[in-house]
Amino acid sequence: MSAPAVQVRGVTKVFGSGETRVEALRGIDLDVHPGEFLAVMGPSGSGKSTLLHLIGGLDRPTAGQVRLGGEDLASLSDDPLTLIRRRKIGYVFQFFNLLPILTAEENVALPLVIDGVREAEAGRRAVEAMESVGIAQRRTHRPGELSGGEQQRVAVARALVTDPVLILADEPTGNLDSAMGDQVIALLRRLVDERGQTILMVTHDPRAAAAADRLVRLKDGLVADSHDLPEVKASGEILRELEASE
Amino acid sequence: MSIKHALMGLLAKGPHHGYELKASLEEQVVPLSSLNFGQIYSTLDRLERDGLVTHRLVAQEERPDKKVFALTDAGHRELRAWLRSPSTVPLDLRNETFLKLMLARSLAGLDGAQSAQGVVAAERRASFERLHEVAQMRFRAAEAGTPAEVVLLLDLASLRLEAFLKWLDRCEEVLL
Repeated sequence: MSAPAVQVRGVTKVFGSGETRVEALRGIDLDVHPGEFLAVMGPSGSGKSTLLHLIGGLDRPTAGQVRLGGEDLASLSDDPLTLIRRRKIGYVFQFFNLLPILTAEENVALPLVIDGVREAEAGRRAVEAMESVGIAQRRTHRPGELSGGEQQRVAVARALVTDPVLILADEPTGNLDSAMGDQVIALLRRLVDERGQTILMVTHDPRAAAAADRLVRLKDGLVADSHDLPEVKASGEILRELEASE
Repeated sequence: MSIKHALMGLLAKGPHHGYELKASLEEQVVPLSSLNFGQIYSTLDRLERDGLVTHRLVAQEERPDKKVFALTDAGHRELRAWLRSPSTVPLDLRNETFLKLMLARSLAGLDGAQSAQGVVAAERRASFERLHEVAQMRFRAAEAGTPAEVVLLLDLASLRLEAFLKWLDRCEEVLL
């Protein structure tokens, strides 16, 4: 198997000190392989958001290593870490986090523009990313003129536009009704199947998690369980059951 | 599923012979199902005995006469009454997983909590695998040309599995 896209080794994270000391992560080992769709679940307080922040370079571990494409994020100073966040990681958030005064296309182009890519090229790549998630027809709309599902598609396009090593999705269906949530999850699944995109998704939504290739459950700051979800055969158990439900 | 009412529903549209009923059932009423003729004819016999369906024989060249079935007035009334009456949604209060959890806690003595933990873990894995399967079928529905009616059945399956998985989390919180 090829080198992991993400490698987490012995990671701990402690917040506060003395009486307010909280051990959010207590020694996590985790690999995410290239082209893998990994779902991380766990009750609130289990450490899943903290883990996402560490892998996304938004925070630093108290101890241990977080490697992204071979590079140890903890050893990097702020500037190179910022570049990695900008170029190698795409983020999808629960509340979309689109800028309301920009059009959908400008939102998608933003990570490139911030990185100094010329405007014309940034625009071209933004439209390409929007086409690949089926939202290009909305490119001149502002977020307020789009449905929640459409806004999340724009956010997925923004996450894709830099061609990142990893997409981090933090409760991507958390603010959507179930039909729209299903569409966003189907979209993420398609990115994995068709482009080999690596995705790590934190969710408490079982239907979202079930779309992944592997499920990791965290509990009390530790990995409680890792479970591969099997390839689905053409005619599966469910079909047979539907046939039998006469 | 009630084959009886499905057949009556088809006959309410007009008379059919047995083979047509099977094909129409599979196409229009219960997608993905394949019913056998035995079930269909035995159900028709019962309906006829109860006065809800009647048949006449139609002569065919070089073949035995075929039976063409029709719904009687009593059949129409029974069908309408059935359409109006709510179906029973199973509450599953004798749930098998629940029984396993109760027994795992009481039987295993010292490592009871662990065993119940094992039950939850095994059920969770199995349900996620089935939910994964349903999800894949949903994702492929468009390209596979799956009819919208079948997608609705898959939605029902996935919502039920989701509810079960959430209930397992609750069991874990309360019992373990």
